[in-house]
Amino acid sequence: MELIHELERAQAERAYLDEVTLRELARSLGVPLYRLQALVSFYPHFRTAPPRRWTIDVCRDMSCYLHDAGTRAEELRAALADNADVEVREASCLGCCELSPAIRVNGAPRRLEDAAKVEAQLTAGGTAAPRPDIRSWRCDPYAPGDPRYQVLRATITSADSHETTDRIIEALEDSGLRGMGGAGFPTGLKWKLVRKEQATPKYVVCNADESEPGTFKDRVIMEQLPHLMIEGMAIAGLTVGAREGIIYLRHEYEAARAALESELDAARAAGALGDDVFGSGISFDIRIFISPGGYILGEETALIEALEDKRGEPRNKPPFPGQKGLWNLPTLMNNVETLAYVPGILLGGADAWKAQGATGFAGLKFISVSGHVERPGVYEIPVGTTVAELIELAGGVSDGRALKAFAPGGASSNFLPASSAGAAIDFAALEEAGSMMGSGALVVVAEDTPMLPLAANVVRFFRNESCGKCVPCRDGTEKAVRMLDSALANGTALDWGTINKLNLLLAETSICGLGYVALNPLISAAEHWPDEVPQEGRSGA
Amino acid sequence: MSDQVALRIDDHDVMVPAGSTIWEAARSVGVEIPVLCHDTRLAPIGVCRLCLVDAGEKKLTASCVREVEEGMQVTTRNPKLDACRAGLLELLLADYPADATDRLKTGRDELAELAVAYGIEWDGAADVGGIPAGGGRSSDASSPVIYVNHQACILCDRCIRACDDVQVNEVIGRTGKGYETRIAFDLDDPMGNSTCVSCGECEKVCPTGALSLTILIDEAT
Repeated sequence: MELIHELERAQAERAYLDEVTLRELARSLGVPLYRLQALVSFYPHFRTAPPRRWTIDVCRDMSCYLHDAGTRAEELRAALADNADVEVREASCLGCCELSPAIRVNGAPRRLEDAAKVEAQLTAGGTAAPRPDIRSWRCDPYAPGDPRYQVLRATITSADSHETTDRIIEALEDSGLRGMGGAGFPTGLKWKLVRKEQATPKYVVCNADESEPGTFKDRVIMEQLPHLMIEGMAIAGLTVGAREGIIYLRHEYEAARAALESELDAARAAGALGDDVFGSGISFDIRIFISPGGYILGEETALIEALEDKRGEPRNKPPFPGQKGLWNLPTLMNNVETLAYVPGILLGGADAWKAQGATGFAGLKFISVSGHVERPGVYEIPVGTTVAELIELAGGVSDGRALKAFAPGGASSNFLPASSAGAAIDFAALEEAGSMMGSGALVVVAEDTPMLPLAANVVRFFRNESCGKCVPCRDGTEKAVRMLDSALANGTALDWGTINKLNLLLAETSICGLGYVALNPLISAAEHWPDEVPQEGRSGA
Repeated sequence: MSDQVALRIDDHDVMVPAGSTIWEAARSVGVEIPVLCHDTRLAPIGVCRLCLVDAGEKKLTASCVREVEEGMQVTTRNPKLDACRAGLLELLLADYPADATDRLKTGRDELAELAVAYGIEWDGAADVGGIPAGGGRSSDASSPVIYVNHQACILCDRCIRACDDVQVNEVIGRTGKGYETRIAFDLDDPMGNSTCVSCGECEKVCPTGALSLTILIDEAT
């Protein structure tokens, strides 16, 4: 962590990393030059040229694409072309899809209004950040003003700690809680596996690096319910025998960082974190690591590589992080939302948690809703709510249009047609419907939206975010994009045999999930809208 | 745990020391699994994916990095594995330039050899198996000893590990991300201006024409 911290510190001081600075750093830290080059050139947060007075990052991904971000960005670029104070950059999903088309102006998230308005705002010295709308959430067992961290207090001070941790794991297993970051691994089982590892020290890492296009629920949880996630981490530490927690936070989430820092201070003041948690003699504390950027860092082993000051390139698995994670030691890694549910489940019991689901389903779920809806945002719903019901809750398809398609689990989930909108939002039900829960991001697509350019936009995202470590993903995503660009530019059919071959290589031979899913949007678009995806060599097209 | 691990690889019963990789275990009974990123003198990293085998799990596994486990049943060849290997070679060869083999090398051009073994034609310009050809990467002739042809580099990482771990010179790394990734010297300096000591280890381990001797073949012969 030292090397990346030092680079960040140097960049904060000088605004960018010039060659002299990098050579000095390499000398003072005693590392080869190539290691700094490897990091600086890999992570988008680092810059090697002086920034202009204003940097505008324009999101180009799925939800913003559906709000015409491409055209709007071109207008903005043209309007600001003569303004030497402004640099306009294309950026990957910024995690504020409710503002689509979204931009960041010197780091502050905004909706991209018309170009003239942006320029006027810059002249006036920027705009005030939109105020977060503080809401009450069903998963929070604490009423405003109540003392927090009571679940942690009760468990840590109980006499027989092994029996206590047994009970915690049992409750999590009974609740059916699964990882909410995308993979859906059973949480109780994960905790059990890490607990039984003998090597020490162990670590608890909260994966707060959500970057899947259409996904921004973790940001809202961290801004509004940081105490639940922190308590979940501390309970996790107690259960698996870790003394140190790390929150791996994406650097764009500045408001979440402020909320977390303030809540970490409050937790320490309350005795819930520190050398002697609630007088138990047990120590557990949490620090925040700011990610230098990139979607791939949400992959758990890439995240660990970054914590170890390397390029965020996923490892071959097994071994899994639960056995050999950070510094090759047992590491429990959970998503923000997963950890935030833990106090409520333990306080009310697994049955009460499950009873919050719709009939026949269990529990609650945060869903980021974006794309063509009237009221994009984060919704906390009973699991089993249907896609159609959630779209209604979000004000319906925008401008009174009909629903054409949706992706229920973010950019990597298969597109489904409007006829599937009766599907329940639930891990098994969405798989049954031919897609997945993924990161819990419902992206709504209205009638008259061409599917091939949309699918191409998503494939381009995976190409842009591929780390470049393994052959199939590094080369396969690029070749797929070239084929799509050529088909779109010339109105020609796609050579479907080659697309299938690339999909085989990506899905079967990549090191990590980014490669596995990279062509999902294209394959599912071709399946449901064959007329819109002209294919050579595919029967029935 | 016993020091020896018993497993089955294709139709061979194999007994190897614990901690061996599947690739090593296969080799011990004469089963050669193709690989480009591995070299027996280096720690394996599993990035070229050619050595993938089926260990009866949900996903194929890279045999060069995967340790053997008691009772494992490993398949090193079947139609799916063959298709994956041929496809990976096509991906690499789609970007492999015509001039990749023009210069003298200490070692072999293992990619060109595998292309022959799998019957894949490439000419450095046309599509390979329907995969669009790529090009446009630079070369670096600044070193008096070694010529760098980035277009012929498959990012196998062998030169990086050889420079770090065999010679402990610590000059080479990767720069950039995704398809734009390249090997680089120091702060992406020309090789001849970098801290490279021209030991030649990187050229020796390079399995393609990416790193070759500066003398051209016609001058050498």
